[in-house]
Amino acid sequence: MSFTFNQDDLNKIKELKTRYPSPDALCLPCLWMAQTKEGYISIDAIDAISEQIGLAPMQIYGVVTFYTMFHLQKPDRLQVDVCKTLSCKLCGSDEILKHLKSKDVYVNHVECLGSCGTAPMMQIKDKNYENLTNEKVDAILEELL
Amino acid sequence: MKECKIVSRKFSIEGSHTLEVAKHHNAYRSLEKRGEFTPTQMIKIIKDANLRGKGGGGASAGEKWELMPQDGDKPSFLAVNCDESEPGTFKDRQIITYDPHLLIEGIILTCYAIKSKHAYIYIRGEYKEYQDILQNAIDEAYEDGLLESCDITIHRGAGAYICGEKSALLESMEGKRGHPRLKPKQKEPEWFFGNPTLVNNVETIATVPFIIQNGSDAYREYGTHCSPGTLLFGMSGHVNKPGVYESEFGVSMLEYIEHFGGGVKNGKKLKAVIPGGVSCGVLTARECKDLTLDYEAMRTAGSSLGTGGMIIMDEDTDMVAVLKNILEFYHEESCGQCTPCREGTGWSDKILQKIVNKRGTKKDLEKLFELADVMNGKTICVFAPSVSSVLISFITKFRDEFERAVS
Amino acid sequence: MSEICEVIVDGEIHEAKEGSLLIDLLIEEGVKIPYFCYHESLGADGNCRMCMVGIKGEKRPQIACDTLIKKDMEVFSNTDVIKKVRTDILELELLNHPVDCPICDQAGECSLQDFYMDYGLHESKVEIEDKVKNSKHVDLGSSVVLDQERCVLCARCTRFTTEITHTNELGIVGRGDSAKVTTMPGRELSNPYAMNVVDLCPVGALTSKDFRFSQRVWLLETHNSICHGCAKGCNIYIDHNKLKYKDDVIYRFRPRKNLEVNGHFICDEGRLSYKDVQENRQEFSTFNHIEVEQDIAISKFKNFLEQHHKNIHILIDANLYTEEIEAILEFAKSIKAEVFSPLEVYTDEGFADDMLKCSNRASNYKTIENLNISTENPNNSELIINFNHPQNFESLMQIDFCTHKSDTNSLVFAIAAFTENEGSLTNVDGITQQTQKAVKKNNPQPSIIEWLTRIDL
Repeated sequence: MSFTFNQDDLNKIKELKTRYPSPDALCLPCLWMAQTKEGYISIDAIDAISEQIGLAPMQIYGVVTFYTMFHLQKPDRLQVDVCKTLSCKLCGSDEILKHLKSKDVYVNHVECLGSCGTAPMMQIKDKNYENLTNEKVDAILEELL
Repeated sequence: MKECKIVSRKFSIEGSHTLEVAKHHNAYRSLEKRGEFTPTQMIKIIKDANLRGKGGGGASAGEKWELMPQDGDKPSFLAVNCDESEPGTFKDRQIITYDPHLLIEGIILTCYAIKSKHAYIYIRGEYKEYQDILQNAIDEAYEDGLLESCDITIHRGAGAYICGEKSALLESMEGKRGHPRLKPKQKEPEWFFGNPTLVNNVETIATVPFIIQNGSDAYREYGTHCSPGTLLFGMSGHVNKPGVYESEFGVSMLEYIEHFGGGVKNGKKLKAVIPGGVSCGVLTARECKDLTLDYEAMRTAGSSLGTGGMIIMDEDTDMVAVLKNILEFYHEESCGQCTPCREGTGWSDKILQKIVNKRGTKKDLEKLFELADVMNGKTICVFAPSVSSVLISFITKFRDEFERAVS
Repeated sequence: MSEICEVIVDGEIHEAKEGSLLIDLLIEEGVKIPYFCYHESLGADGNCRMCMVGIKGEKRPQIACDTLIKKDMEVFSNTDVIKKVRTDILELELLNHPVDCPICDQAGECSLQDFYMDYGLHESKVEIEDKVKNSKHVDLGSSVVLDQERCVLCARCTRFTTEITHTNELGIVGRGDSAKVTTMPGRELSNPYAMNVVDLCPVGALTSKDFRFSQRVWLLETHNSICHGCAKGCNIYIDHNKLKYKDDVIYRFRPRKNLEVNGHFICDEGRLSYKDVQENRQEFSTFNHIEVEQDIAISKFKNFLEQHHKNIHILIDANLYTEEIEAILEFAKSIKAEVFSPLEVYTDEGFADDMLKCSNRASNYKTIENLNISTENPNNSELIINFNHPQNFESLMQIDFCTHKSDTNSLVFAIAAFTENEGSLTNVDGITQQTQKAVKKNNPQPSIIEWLTRIDL
C-alpha cells in the first residue's frame, strides 16, 4: 500500500517550509502528519517525506526509531500508555498496570508523562487520564472500547 | 508563607487560557513598556533581575541573552523549551494550559530583546492536549495582531527525554535524532541550522513580562540574594495535596511541603525527598530539616534544585525499588551516543534488577559505585553525570537498605 | 590561529599548529592513544570517549579529538587517572561484545583487541545471558557483512555514507544500549565506495564478504602499490601470502592514505581488481597456443623481426610502468618501429564520478601523453609487437607480451603483472608515484625490461 500526502497535507507542508530556515526541520512535523493519517509510519510514508523535505529515507528512519512515540507497525488494539516512572509508581501505577493487563488493550509502559501531581495516570490517543483507580480505568475503557 | 504569584497569577481564573479573559486580567500590558527600552536595555533589566533559567540549570538568563548577536547578518531565533520530561516536573504544562498568553507575551518581549523574528516552542509529544490549548492561544494572538513583530511556531517532539537538553532539542528541531552536541570551546549562543539561537525554558520566558513591567528590583524583592524571584515548585509522590505552587526561593522546604502539600500522605513520616526531578541527588528527611529551596542551599546540601519538582517519599518507601525505577528511566532514555552513558545506564539498571531480584552481591554495589565514577564527567552532556550522582546519593544515604538487599 | 606552537605531551615538547586537533598530533607523534570514533577523514564525533587525556588547568579529563591545540598546552596521556578512565570506558565498550575473536576476521587488526591489551586485561563481569543480543552476519549488500554485537557504535560507517558518499544507506536506529547500525528494511548498502566501511570499522562489526574466512591477517604480508583500475592512481596496500607448498596469492587490496591522491579511500571495483590481476594468467611463452622454451621464443622473435623491415608497429599498454615504457621506446628506436598506445579502449565515461573514479582507465596514460606517444590506432601494420595493450589490430604478423592469456595465434611472451614488478606511474593529475614489488610467484614471469634485455638485439 503506498502512502501519499493529499493536497491539504501538501499545502500544510508548503506553509511550514516558510517557517523554518531549512526543510529538514519538517522531519518531525511530517512524521506526525503521516502517523496521524495511518496510525503508524510506513516505509512508504518515509519515502514520501523524504521526497518532500530532502532528507534521506535512512535519516528519517533513524529519527523514527529514536522517538518512542513513533510506531513502525500498525497498532492492532487500542494503545494505552501507562506512566511507570517514580511519582506514578509511588502512587500505585503498578496496580493500574496489573489491572490493565486483563483488558483487551495494548499496554505500553512509558516513562514520565508529566502528570506527577495527578498520579497515577495513563494516556490514550493523546488524552491524559489522571488520578486513576481501577474503577476509573474500567469506566474509561468501557467508553473507549 | 508569603503569597507570590508572578507566573501563576491567572492560573485559578476561569477561562484564563482565552485571550479575552487573559486581557481582562492585564495580559500583554508589559508590551506597552517595550517602546521604553532598547533591546540591549531590556537584556540589562533581565540580567539585573538575575533571572535564573527555570528549566533546571539555573544559569543566568540575562547572560545567555547577551550572547545573542545584536547586529549579526544571520537571523536570530528563540527556541522555547517545553520538553518538560524530567520526572517529577509538571510546571510548564500549567503555564501553557492555564496562562498560555503569558508565555506568548514573554516570547514577544524576548524576541524584541534578542532581535528575533521567529520563536519556536518545542513541546514534548505527549503534551498534545496542552499543545492544542497553546496553539489556540497563538492563533488568537495572531488574529489580534499581537504577533506582528515575531512569528511563533510550535514544534512537537515525539518522546525523548534527552531533547530537553538544549543542543539535543535543536538537533531534534533540525530533523535529526536528538543527540546532544559537543560543547563549544567558548561562550556562544546555540545554533539552529547555523543561526544564533536562544534556548530558554517556558517558565523563564513566562517570568519576563513581570520583570519588564515592574522592573528588576520588583523581581528581586522575592527570593534570596543569589536566587531571586520565584519558581513554580511542585510536589508529587507521598504528599496530601500534590501539585504546582509558586513560591519565592529561599523558603523552608519542609514548611513548603506542609503549607502547600498538606504534609506527608496518611500521616506517615517523611523518609526522603528528591528535590527537583529525579536527576537531583536524593535528600534524607534529616537533610531536609532546615533546608531552604534555593540553588545555593541545595548545592551545599549536595544536591541541586533542578526544576523544583519535589518527589516526596514516606517512611515505608523501598529505596532500592525507587533507585531501580529511576535507573529504568535512564536506561530507557539514554540517547546512546557516548559509551559511558549508553552502556553504563543499561548495566546499572541490570545490576539493580539483580539486586531487586535478591540475586545481588556486595560486589554489585561496588560495581554501581564504579559505574557512577565512569559516568561522571566523561560524556558530552550531563545526562550520565546525573545518573552518577543519583546512584551515589541513594546508595550512600540508604546504605543499610542496599546492604540488606544484597545480603 | 595557524601559528606553530609548542605543546608538552608527557613531559616532551612537540610542535604543532595552534588550533589543530590534539588527537592528530598524538597520532602523528606516536603517543599511545586509544580511539574508535575519530577518523581523520570523518573528523571528531566525540562519542566513544576513549581518547581522554589530562590537560593542565582542566578539572576533568578531556577527549583529545575535540581539543584544539593551544600555545604551551600541557597534556598528560599516561597518568594513572587517565589509564583508569580508559580502562573503565573500554570495559563498557566490551560489555555487550561477544568476544568471539577466534572466529572474527578483524582479529589481529582490531582496535578493541589492541586497546584491551593496552588498557583492559580484565575479566568479563557480565554473564553471557545478560549481554544485549543483536543480529549477526547481516548481509548489508556490496559485499559488506554486519555483526551488530561486535559494533561499538562509533558511527564511522554511518558518517561515511552520510558525509563522504552522500548515499545515506547506513544509519543508527534505536537508542541507548539497543541502538544499532543498520540499513532501511529491505534496502542495501549500495554505492561504488561501500567497502571502505570495512576498513573504517575499527572492530569486527563490518567485514568484507570477499575476504571473510580466507586468511588470518597476521599471516599476510603487505606491500605498497598503486591501483591500476583507472588513471587516478589510488594508493593501495597489497595484502598477500605464500602458504607452504602453494603460490604467493593476493587476498585483498586495501586503500593506503595519500591525501594528495585518494585521501583514505578506494573504489570497490579497484579494491576487488586483485582477482583479475591473478586470474587467467599467461604462465609461459607460447606460439600458436603451444608452449615454447624461452630460447626458442626469443629466436622466433628475432626471426620475425628479420622478416619485417617496414611498418613495424609497437603497441604499449598505458598501464605499464614508466620505466617499462621508456625501455620499449628505446627498443622501438633500435628497430625503427612506430609506437602506439590507442586510447579509445581505455575510455569509460560510465565509470567516472566526482570522487575518485576516472573515465580514463589506464593508470599511466599520463606518461603516454608526456612521452608524446601516439594514441591513435596503427594502420597498415606488417608486424605488431604488442606490450600488453588490450586491443588487437590487423597485421601480417604479431608478437605479444602478455600478463594474461591471449587468444591470438601469435608468439606470446608471458610477463609479470604490476603486482610482481615495481616501477612508477604518473596519475591523471600529473603526480608520479612508486610501487613496490609485492608478489613473488613460484614461477615468476620476467618483466618487459627483463625480456628486452634477454632478447638483446
